[in-house]
Amino acid sequence: MHERFANAYDPFVIPYMIGYVFVLAYLVVALVTVVKNLPMSDRKKMLRHLFSFKLFVTIKDIFADCLLHVKIWKKNKMLGYMHSSIAFGWFMLILVGHIEIFFFAPHRVNLPWYPIFFRYFMMETETSVGGSVFFFLMDFFLLMVLSGIALAMIKRIRRRLFGMKRTTRLKWNDQLAMYSLWCIFPLRFLAESFTSHISGGGFLTRSFGMLFDWFNQFMNNDALIRPMWWAYSIALMVFFLTLPWSRFTHILSEVLLIYMRNAGIRESSKNNGYAGVEIFSCSRCGLCLDPCQMVSSASLRQMASVEFTRNVRLRQNKQAMEAASYCLMCDRCVQACPVGVNSVQLKLNLKAADVKYTYPNRYDYVEAEANPMDTGSAWADILHRTPEAAAPTKKVVRTPEVVYFAGCMSHLTPKIEQAMVRIFEAAGVDFTFLDKDGGICCGRPLMLAGDRTGSEQLVAKNTEAILATGAKVMVCSCPICYKIFKDTYKLEGVQVLHHTEYILQLMEAGKITVRKSSQKGVYHDPCELGRHSGIYRQPRDILYRVLNLQQTPYEGKDALCCGHSMAGEGMPYKKRRMIARDALRKMTENPVDVLVTACPSCKRSFAEIGTEEIRDIAEIVCDQLVTR
Amino acid sequence: MEDVIVVIGGGPAGMEAALSLAGRGHKVYIVEKTNALGGHLARWDRLFPQQDPAQEILNDMLAGIKNADDKIEVICNAQVQSVKKRMRGLEVMLSNQKMILADAVLVCCGFDLFRAERKEEYGYGIYDNVLTSADLEERFKHKKVLCADGRVPEKVAFVHCVGSRDEKVDHTYCSKVCCVTAVKQACEIKELYPQAEVFNLYMDLRMFDRYFEQMYHKAQSHYGVHFVRGRLSEVSETADGRLQIKTEDTLLGRPMKITVDMLVLMVGMQACAQTEELSEKLDLKVSASDHFFETKDLFLKGNYAHTKGIFLAGACTGPKSLPDTLQDARSAAESIHRYLTA
Repeated sequence: MHERFANAYDPFVIPYMIGYVFVLAYLVVALVTVVKNLPMSDRKKMLRHLFSFKLFVTIKDIFADCLLHVKIWKKNKMLGYMHSSIAFGWFMLILVGHIEIFFFAPHRVNLPWYPIFFRYFMMETETSVGGSVFFFLMDFFLLMVLSGIALAMIKRIRRRLFGMKRTTRLKWNDQLAMYSLWCIFPLRFLAESFTSHISGGGFLTRSFGMLFDWFNQFMNNDALIRPMWWAYSIALMVFFLTLPWSRFTHILSEVLLIYMRNAGIRESSKNNGYAGVEIFSCSRCGLCLDPCQMVSSASLRQMASVEFTRNVRLRQNKQAMEAASYCLMCDRCVQACPVGVNSVQLKLNLKAADVKYTYPNRYDYVEAEANPMDTGSAWADILHRTPEAAAPTKKVVRTPEVVYFAGCMSHLTPKIEQAMVRIFEAAGVDFTFLDKDGGICCGRPLMLAGDRTGSEQLVAKNTEAILATGAKVMVCSCPICYKIFKDTYKLEGVQVLHHTEYILQLMEAGKITVRKSSQKGVYHDPCELGRHSGIYRQPRDILYRVLNLQQTPYEGKDALCCGHSMAGEGMPYKKRRMIARDALRKMTENPVDVLVTACPSCKRSFAEIGTEEIRDIAEIVCDQLVTR
Repeated sequence: MEDVIVVIGGGPAGMEAALSLAGRGHKVYIVEKTNALGGHLARWDRLFPQQDPAQEILNDMLAGIKNADDKIEVICNAQVQSVKKRMRGLEVMLSNQKMILADAVLVCCGFDLFRAERKEEYGYGIYDNVLTSADLEERFKHKKVLCADGRVPEKVAFVHCVGSRDEKVDHTYCSKVCCVTAVKQACEIKELYPQAEVFNLYMDLRMFDRYFEQMYHKAQSHYGVHFVRGRLSEVSETADGRLQIKTEDTLLGRPMKITVDMLVLMVGMQACAQTEELSEKLDLKVSASDHFFETKDLFLKGNYAHTKGIFLAGACTGPKSLPDTLQDARSAAESIHRYLTA
């Protein structure tokens, strides 16, 4: 017995050491790969962050997100406790274990296996203050981890207790890693308990050790001690060896992800190093499954973001591409992700990388002429404002106050355009209807389909036309256009507003007055206006003044997708309808007179499936205008 | 003892089947939800392919029913409340509390026209000069087809396949009669106003039946109707109340913009609003693909429902032209007769 204290070595540490060395090597290789795939500017950011004060923020964030799992606590307490007890408990076991060595065996610090198998190599006594404190702490955190593991097991059977309707299905690699993780701590507990009559132990290990001692009297004393330590070591090895191919890679990569994010690195238009870290940071917790309407309404479980990241990781490009082409990019999964993986951007990048330009110049015609069939439109006026084109018969070009861009989808819902024109007229605003007789697409649908080159051509042409009007304010009716006008266009000196923002401005400035009707209505937040652009307040402020606005459980960030986004070009209409029907049913569970939205695409989607009255906010306001 | 048959629906199929069954000595009750017999036929002016007046055909059928009043009883303003299986036959309860013990039930509930408002981009219900094919037929009855401001239309465009072969509105099927109706109505416009220019915007012209192809040729050679292969993308109103329509001539590969005085939407057929309710009451199967009733097969049991004693005829089993509907009704009568005398 004494040689083990003297040697501080036993063959059972070998499996652990194999795993340990393997994980270290993997970490180095992964880190080098990530940095290699980053653009130079991002690498500099990473280096600079190391020496900045923001590093403390990063440490705090890592502590809060990776160990305490604060975001998951906010979702569900049980789920939060499960995650943080395992992560934080394990971390504390490692930390306290190392401190313990500094106290009792400072000369063993350089042995990497020493803190892991400490109780086997070291005798302590619980009667000393130091010993009792460490015994207590170590047992306390072990109990914490064990309770977390117990909950993890229960979660596999009763996930509703944890606020989840669905959870991920595990493949063999995840199963192997998970079961070995589940084994590590009970085995450690048993090993320490069996050893506790020699090494001493805390309230947990010593108490159980005494119980086992009683059993032990019937058989060869201490026969189980070394097998238990062997089993513990092997469980650790299996876990480490399976780590790179399992969901648990996130334990390592999430730390890196938080570091990179705090260093100012953002997802870019290419799936580079940062995207790689994001993909490996997906813990397959499955929190994105319930929010995904493809999963909940259209039985498309295989299209969920959690499966998408997995397919990208396993380089199953076909399946990943399919999921990207189905995704409506409503952002509900991004909102739900506790790690902050922007899977929508990952999908967009994947699509963009897959576009094959058979006709690279197919939007060249927009350069030549806005609309070859028409010479009398607003477009023609604007685009031919060169001296030779401005024929004397043409009306004098004025500079309007506001330029109105309805967008293609609003052309398909003419009631919205009509309403907007009436509102402009009622407010006495000098406006020009830029795409009244047809315009050029804003470019967002192409962008969502991954065709960035085509999109850029349209953006350039539209920018030219909008700036040529000289207007200082641009109002658009379609949130899809609004998003790209705001984010991508460079319209210097032009304020871009969605009509919900603009109408509210008109109301608040007293330019239009409305009366309130007794109509009962609910408001549906369009994805592109709500989650993508953060406009939640304005439509509600308007609606409070014109009708009896009711609440649904699907407001703001929890809003549902109408199933008709410009993305998701791969999804069949049948599936889109299933999503639309389900969303409409949920929102009108308490009957209302009208469902109001602020997007022509949402309006069409809902109008095409049911008999409920679906209207745009502009139509509602137009109806309630008080004309002076 | 005479057999009793309840016919649900008093349109052409229901009337023709009733006449046929009465001729074989059966007692027939026609249950009609509106206040008169005739169905969609009563709304139509003239019928393809030979411009026969709809009213004459309807009158002939009504006269036949009147002559057989000992055998045919018409119950208007009534609907089927419930149908229960009894030892012999079926107990049919009507909404007016009348109970009929029937040996067989024939469902002829027909079709509904597609609600053109669902395609907002075509402007029906928004712009005054956008009509449906049914609205136009109503105006043909009065021999006057004028714009909202009372002008004679100079340019008229017909849009084919509105609510047919359109995945977006969950109608993936062809309604069969709209192509030829559009050709008929285009010719009628030219007869009424020879100066008018008429466009037909189609995606396919399905001139499948007898005399249809000839009508189509006559429309071009005699009446000078324009046929443009392309779907309508959007409609907007001009300052003077005309309609600017955007489409693409897919044969020339060219976008097109035409300003017209009147736009006619060729609305397709869809399963009638009562389909779901009836399918529950009578235990009928509804096709998941087109939402019309399913028959036992499409050949020898083409009028048999999956439930014993219940039969189907007319456009409730999918879009049909009037001649097809009438033949289907007669074939249903034959099927019921065989079933009752077996």
